[in-house]
Amino acid sequence: MCAADSPLRLRVQFTKQGQARYLSHSEYARTLMISARRAGLPLEYAGTNMSRMKVSLSPPLPIGVTSDCELVDFNLTSYVPAAEACDLLGKATPDGIAPAKCRLMGPEAKPVGKVIDTAVFAAAFPETVGGGELEDAVERFSEMSTLPYQRVQPRRTRTVDIRAGVHGLEVVGETEGRVSLKMTVDDGIAGTIKPWEVVEVISGMAGIGREVWQQAEVNRTGLFSRRGDRLISPMDAGAGRSGAGRGARGVSY
Amino acid sequence: MNSTYPGSLADRLQPLLLRVERPSRYLGGEWNSPDIPAESTSVVFAYPDVYEIGMSNLGLAILAEVVNDIEGASAERAYAPWLDMEAEMRREGIPLFSLETKRPVASADIFGISIPHELTFTNVLNLIDLAGLPLRASDRTGGPIVVGGGCGVTNPEPLAAYFDLFVLGEGEEVIGTLVEMVTRAKSQGWGRMRLLEEASRLRGVYRPDDYLPEYADDGTLKEMIPQGGAARKVTKNLVDLDDWLYPSHPVVPFCEAVHDRLNVELFRGCTRGCRFCQAGMTYRPVRERTAGEVVKLVDQLAQSTGHDEVSLCSLSSTDYSRIADVTSRVAQVCEHRRMIMSLPSLRMDAMSAELASRLDRGGRGGLTFAPEAGSQRLRLVINKPIAERDMVDAVMFAVRAGRRRIKLYFMIGLPTETDEDVAEIAKLVFRLRDAVKAEKLTPPSFKVSVSTFVPKPHTPFQWCPQITGDEIRHRQDILKETLRARSVNLSWHDREMSKVEGLLARGDRRLGRMLENCWAAGGRFDSWSDHFDFERWMRAAADSGIDPDFYLYRQRRPDEVFPWDHLDFGVDKKFLLAELSRAMEATTTPDCRVAECSECGVCEGLAVEPVLKGSDS
Repeated sequence: MCAADSPLRLRVQFTKQGQARYLSHSEYARTLMISARRAGLPLEYAGTNMSRMKVSLSPPLPIGVTSDCELVDFNLTSYVPAAEACDLLGKATPDGIAPAKCRLMGPEAKPVGKVIDTAVFAAAFPETVGGGELEDAVERFSEMSTLPYQRVQPRRTRTVDIRAGVHGLEVVGETEGRVSLKMTVDDGIAGTIKPWEVVEVISGMAGIGREVWQQAEVNRTGLFSRRGDRLISPMDAGAGRSGAGRGARGVSY
Repeated sequence: MNSTYPGSLADRLQPLLLRVERPSRYLGGEWNSPDIPAESTSVVFAYPDVYEIGMSNLGLAILAEVVNDIEGASAERAYAPWLDMEAEMRREGIPLFSLETKRPVASADIFGISIPHELTFTNVLNLIDLAGLPLRASDRTGGPIVVGGGCGVTNPEPLAAYFDLFVLGEGEEVIGTLVEMVTRAKSQGWGRMRLLEEASRLRGVYRPDDYLPEYADDGTLKEMIPQGGAARKVTKNLVDLDDWLYPSHPVVPFCEAVHDRLNVELFRGCTRGCRFCQAGMTYRPVRERTAGEVVKLVDQLAQSTGHDEVSLCSLSSTDYSRIADVTSRVAQVCEHRRMIMSLPSLRMDAMSAELASRLDRGGRGGLTFAPEAGSQRLRLVINKPIAERDMVDAVMFAVRAGRRRIKLYFMIGLPTETDEDVAEIAKLVFRLRDAVKAEKLTPPSFKVSVSTFVPKPHTPFQWCPQITGDEIRHRQDILKETLRARSVNLSWHDREMSKVEGLLARGDRRLGRMLENCWAAGGRFDSWSDHFDFERWMRAAADSGIDPDFYLYRQRRPDEVFPWDHLDFGVDKKFLLAELSRAMEATTTPDCRVAECSECGVCEGLAVEPVLKGSDS
């Protein structure tokens, strides 16, 4: 490690599986920060002598949902190779959370929390649910221009247009006898459609009972910035451009 | 979630986790959680409150470290499930389980329950019941032996019917001996009764069954009669800190614990002799760690946990022999590791500018002091004679070090307290504020927390009545009237909670039925104000034929036999009575660290001496 010429941001893609899926967003954030401290990374803090780490996290994942793609930016005070950071983090994270990729970003890169607006989820239904009934519901859903959904939250209940927040929806092939619903939804700076809301609506349209669809296993497979019809991964954004720090330009692990 | 252990409930627990608040409370698998061998003498240490409170308990972490260091033994953790999880567990028929292996607690060999204070008693019963064990010890013929320990066993009599054993004092040594005894009992096929009999002979182990209370006609205790050759008194355990393991890899929770930091113990015991303080009396004598050991522990633990704050804890941290030296060295470690240092239990007469500047640099929090009483007279009564000049200095040091918040703890209801003493609290706070203003500094905000004094066993005030609910209300009203200022925030304790705490604190075995009735009526988490139900307690008392006033408001005779007199925590009852007399005369007793021996009886009775190693490197 050596001093950085300019501020560095280490962008890490973590997976969140197993029992880690029961961690809330704040618990997960705390877990990552403690992991980064245990890894011995040269972390930047806000202010002097304050244990406030400069991090930026991707949008919250609902409790119980697993993920192949949770993104975090750690601000660093000195250069550390992405591969070394990945290795150090791998040893410091608890079971269920593991770094999949690391990349050094330049100072001009926006924090990950400010660029993500879209997520892709896959909801694997129980074996008792057939693809046909879901496909029909998906087709009818796609033909709609608007679909009000009552979102009940602890402090307020409001109506959102769930259709407007779903940008892609398809039933994907059966794996291990289970069909999955793949959905591309608003998630992040543009608003959030929760995967369970889509599962509930589609299941309702397909006549699938609550006790069945609640057994679906939901996994976030990707996080993106939407540019028209294109989905750009923050892990790839700006790849090959300058400013990624000495010796780390466009390199990811 | 580990489901590889035989009998693991992991698979049955999974569906519940999505239906409850904070499922992380029930996961286990945190950093540094130990690998548990499938075949071992198994101890489950349980804490009768939720995970994030129980995880802050240093005592259980130390005991778990000791047990896990024994070959063929393992220690796991269990906490009180929150109400939603308890309902789910009962609905699904899932018993209390350990976090590490998710095995039922009932399958362990020893079920150790920490008892932190009286308002957790209903949760203690709930833990035993949730484990699927018969509630009363006399009804248990199998399963783990149920052992209680911690601060709450200074008077465990209301819980006597529900525990097989209690451990008095420090548990490091005796838990190891107990584990070895259980291992031997298993291999040699001892019956439960033989195991309990053998265990009851260990030092510091109290078997309630060995003592039979006899009551006088006036309702007071006449005698506690030892049965079957039991000793007249059970004496607490004490350990030499250097001889015992300190958790080198403490478990780091995923969620924020109430004390979300490293805890490094500077010393045990306190000789200041504050007359209201039970811990100050029962944890004697003072035993310090060396400064070098403290610094080494901070560095090691910072590495093994990733915490960003270290607390140098003890009953009165600023009394450590070389506090300036140790905080200076720990501050260097903190600088290197990007941590902050905090000292709980700061005495206002031991503050310095240097110390104030080292603590929690960057000013993440305020500083907390405990003057306890508003008037100098009352501070003499309680033997905490902090001069007002020292208080002003402490606040000035804190403000000059950048602190913008000062928290002050006071008590109302102390023996001999008058309305004038209560009003003095407000005057003192304003004088502290004005002293800062006089120096042309911005005054901090003052958070004034006022609790109600509850007389506790093994203290000089154990003979004194507790003030009544009406008196509490009257004195709180005085404070509400007089402590009005924008920069002052006043908070006070629920007087009904203080009443139940006081009732149980000096209770006897007759309160067991009341406790059980309250638990059966749904009593849980009584230390949480939103779950405390005073009416439920009073109904349980009435149904059990208990008159709370008898326990709360009665001035005890000097020669009265107390339900805890047969439990020897070292301090002589004659000394306590003499201290009560001195209190009534507003006479202080000096700290034996710096003055002559106060003849409390600990050193002579327990054949020990204070250990002041702070200056050794």
